[in-house]
Amino acid sequence: MDPTLIGQGLLSGLLFGGVYSLMAVGLTLIFGVMRVVNFAHGDMMVWGMYLAWMLSTRLGVDPYLGFGLCAAALFLLGWAIQRGLVHRIVDAPHEMQILLMLGVALVLENAALVAFGPDPQRVRSPLTAATVWLGPIFVDVARLVTFGLALALTLALWFFLARTDLGQRIRAAADNPYGALVIGTDVGRVYAAAFGIGAACVGAAGALVSPILPFQPAGGLSLSVASFNIVIIGGMGSLVGAFAGGLLVSVAESLGAVFLAPSMKELVSFSLLIVILLFRPAGLFGKRGT
Amino acid sequence: MSASRSTTRIPRRTVLKGAVAGAAVLGFPLPLRAQGPVFKVGVVHPVTGPLAEPGQACRLGATMAAEAVNAAGGIKSMGGAKLELIFGDTQTKPDVGRTEAERVINQGAQMLMGSFDSGSTAAMVPVVQQRRVPFLVDIAAADPITANVAKAVKEGQQKVQYVYRNFPTGSSFGIKAVQYFSEVFKEAGVAPKRVVLMYCNDLFGQNNAKGFQAAHAAAKPSWDIVDVIPWPEPPQDLSTEVSRAKAARPDIIAPITRPASAQLLLPELRKQRLEIMGVVGPGSPGLYESGQLAVLKDDLEFVMASTPWANFKNPRTQKVAEDYQKRSGGKTFDTNSGYSYDGIFVIADVLERAKSADPDVIVDAIRKTNYGAGLMQYAGPVVFNELGDNPNAVTTMIQILGQKPVAVWPKEAALQKFVFPRPKR
Amino acid sequence: MRGGGIAALLAVAMLAALPAVLSSYAVTVFIFIFFYAYLGQAWNIVGGYAGQLSAGHAAFVGVGAYTSAMLSMTLGLTPWIGMFVGGLLSAALGALIGFLGFRFGLRGFYFVLLTVAFAEICRIVALNTDAVGGALGLYIGFTGNPRQFQFQDNRVYYYVALALMLAATGLVAVLERRRFGEYLRAIREDENACEALGVNTFKYKMLAMVLSSFLTGIGGTFYAYYLFSLQPNSVFGIPLSVEIIIRPNVVGAGTVLGPILGSFILSPLGEISRIYLSQGGWSGLHLIGYGLLLIAVVLFFPQGAYPTLIKLGGSERRSSPKPPHRV
Repeated sequence: MDPTLIGQGLLSGLLFGGVYSLMAVGLTLIFGVMRVVNFAHGDMMVWGMYLAWMLSTRLGVDPYLGFGLCAAALFLLGWAIQRGLVHRIVDAPHEMQILLMLGVALVLENAALVAFGPDPQRVRSPLTAATVWLGPIFVDVARLVTFGLALALTLALWFFLARTDLGQRIRAAADNPYGALVIGTDVGRVYAAAFGIGAACVGAAGALVSPILPFQPAGGLSLSVASFNIVIIGGMGSLVGAFAGGLLVSVAESLGAVFLAPSMKELVSFSLLIVILLFRPAGLFGKRGT
Repeated sequence: MSASRSTTRIPRRTVLKGAVAGAAVLGFPLPLRAQGPVFKVGVVHPVTGPLAEPGQACRLGATMAAEAVNAAGGIKSMGGAKLELIFGDTQTKPDVGRTEAERVINQGAQMLMGSFDSGSTAAMVPVVQQRRVPFLVDIAAADPITANVAKAVKEGQQKVQYVYRNFPTGSSFGIKAVQYFSEVFKEAGVAPKRVVLMYCNDLFGQNNAKGFQAAHAAAKPSWDIVDVIPWPEPPQDLSTEVSRAKAARPDIIAPITRPASAQLLLPELRKQRLEIMGVVGPGSPGLYESGQLAVLKDDLEFVMASTPWANFKNPRTQKVAEDYQKRSGGKTFDTNSGYSYDGIFVIADVLERAKSADPDVIVDAIRKTNYGAGLMQYAGPVVFNELGDNPNAVTTMIQILGQKPVAVWPKEAALQKFVFPRPKR
Repeated sequence: MRGGGIAALLAVAMLAALPAVLSSYAVTVFIFIFFYAYLGQAWNIVGGYAGQLSAGHAAFVGVGAYTSAMLSMTLGLTPWIGMFVGGLLSAALGALIGFLGFRFGLRGFYFVLLTVAFAEICRIVALNTDAVGGALGLYIGFTGNPRQFQFQDNRVYYYVALALMLAATGLVAVLERRRFGEYLRAIREDENACEALGVNTFKYKMLAMVLSSFLTGIGGTFYAYYLFSLQPNSVFGIPLSVEIIIRPNVVGAGTVLGPILGSFILSPLGEISRIYLSQGGWSGLHLIGYGLLLIAVVLFFPQGAYPTLIKLGGSERRSSPKPPHRV
């Protein structure tokens, strides 16, 4: 086996992991706090990508600069979904919540289809073509930047949850919703904020990834599945887990593509998922007894 | 580039057709045109779901063809009967495909055309065999779709074959691709040795890849396929796959893509600085559409693909292509729209000769088809062999030159000379 | 009870008589209503009654379908027998998933993911295995020969599908009344309490899973011999799993009539939304409608539509109590 190829696989996997991590961070927040299985996650991300595309084509804003706007827009969407829909069925059986988010996913996917058409799109950014060569191994600058931004955003989110008032209330409500109610937290608003922030993360992820990944309305489902994989492996409700999980899954898939047939690389992440589910369901970084 | 939507124009006709369809379901037949006889053709494609883009192209191609047929007087041998299209959406799901076929037949369709993806198409076969509705497959590559029916008829399990296909079969894609590869290399005076085949691991990609490899093994040309790299479709990342390709020291990259994966693959080839003579595809979408050109620009320049293509030497084709561009919001008249367009015309030709709506008479007329006025590039007139396929449906080698897809091989189809090897960047 | 029984018989009689007056298109719509109701009912055993939500039941459809198709194509084995072989293989897969899930204590969402992972693995393996046709899949020739589980007349399929649905429903109705059903319901409501009381929850969950996957596998054969082609993405894919679980859950999982009513509500709605909204050229509008409908159903009937439907029907049918929201 060509050592250059292995090395390149590792590096590419690691850098692309930043993309995966960004996708997962938003999901882990939503699930960790509210136990809501956000089946519309991938479709929200696709909308983040399309918003970035609109900003780029209509207003000439580079996605690496405009991702904040996408995040803000998705925040509002997430807030609205939580307040308007999810909150109403908080006492319903779990299956209902899954059905609800499935309905939301359908609406989001086909709204994108009607609005933007079925063709795959990509956002052009001057960074997309840039590469840096370290001997025989190359570094994709766009992915490096995304990796850095993913790390920065995750740290920012961690800081927010650990140090700010709202963040601590979110964590409290996640750990102990009844306790939070007892001390007077407006759990509904906290949940809505959490959902909104989770959605904002995925909106930012979509924007940052839009120059790297071609997107089309039908692409949401596979993104959702990939995100769930990462979050479980990394640990539901753990930011570190989501980040590390993203890196791990990406590297595993990349090495899988090197050693096996690349078309089987998803097998690697699913097998990993099963192993984690059986032996450490809380995930690599999750809290035990979740 | 304007957002590609087939929704920019909703012909009044279509809205009226919708009303008719809806009314028919409720049981109130509303005459759409009070004048003259009408022959209904069910046209079913995946206009939503992952294959929405080609599906919508097919629908538009069929619509335009029907309008052209009707404008020229309809089916003269049937009293000037106008073709009326009843549309269906398979959503790329076989069960929906079957239901839609039943529905359009229930609304009076006496022939069926469709349906792009082989799963839905196969699900419609029993319907048309059960209900005796001649079915012209305008696009679907899986060989068994027609072969199975031919076999059933031969073994006496079915009386008549109602399924016919005017599209290259999976095996013919491969044979022609290998042939064109060798011919182009020879004509260019170069002898590349190492070809890396990369393909999307879905139905089309796998089928095409297998056909290409089988044809290569049979033809034993002077070039080898040194690595075969499939990726899961749709892919999120192809950097490792391209690294693997690079490690095989290729002279040629032969990709079989879908539009989304092509958008990932081609820039990756440039980024990883693969030193190759060219990108020559055995035939796939994603390498020539106007949407792809708008996104990929220079990365598509000089890329070649062996794909079913329209014959642009025919002035009629050029006119239709211009119209299509206007009505579709800037898209190229290509494989999908083209074969659906030709499909309607073949149906019209069949009906003209059948002079009757009787299914078995129509089937007889289909089998005797010898239609030479198609807009696509054929190796001869449209005919149907004993399996129900058109052996003259072939592919053409096209190349992106000056940011436009142009036929470059074989010589009789070529509008321009090809550029190979591609110039160094 | 008597009133319910007579109503059921009348309904069955009506359904049996319908093909005489319906168009082939309507017959097809009903066939899919019955078929998805059957799959939903099979799912209901483990997902509704036992409360173990599986979102990977497509795996069993796929295993059953591919098994009987391959046996028919390579050995000439009639699908009438092949379907049971397929069912058994599906049951074996179900046993494996159940064993792993239940032995390792996976509950709720974690079990859901386990089932999804297995279904996806099956899909990817099938996609990459040439022997089962890879991505191209298997294409079954239409011969209309009943010995090959094919019928020239669409209406025969109607009765087969109806029979499947009735058989599964009958089975579930019987199980519901026996101790098996009681245990399953108890496990769904509070598994820990059951274990504390000494109930072998593992055994009952496994039985439910095996039975459910067996029946689903048989359904796979129907799928193969009604749609005549099998592709990994269609037959193992998540969208099919979603179609299976949607129907029982819209009305109320863990009820005998849930999957049937759900199918009778959702399938026609899907048809209508596709026909009316798709015609105008706005591709995708009908699926937006379908999604909005799902949302509406969940919002207005968060406990499942069943309790409301019972109230509307005014009958004294024994309904299963809904499980409390799991924290």
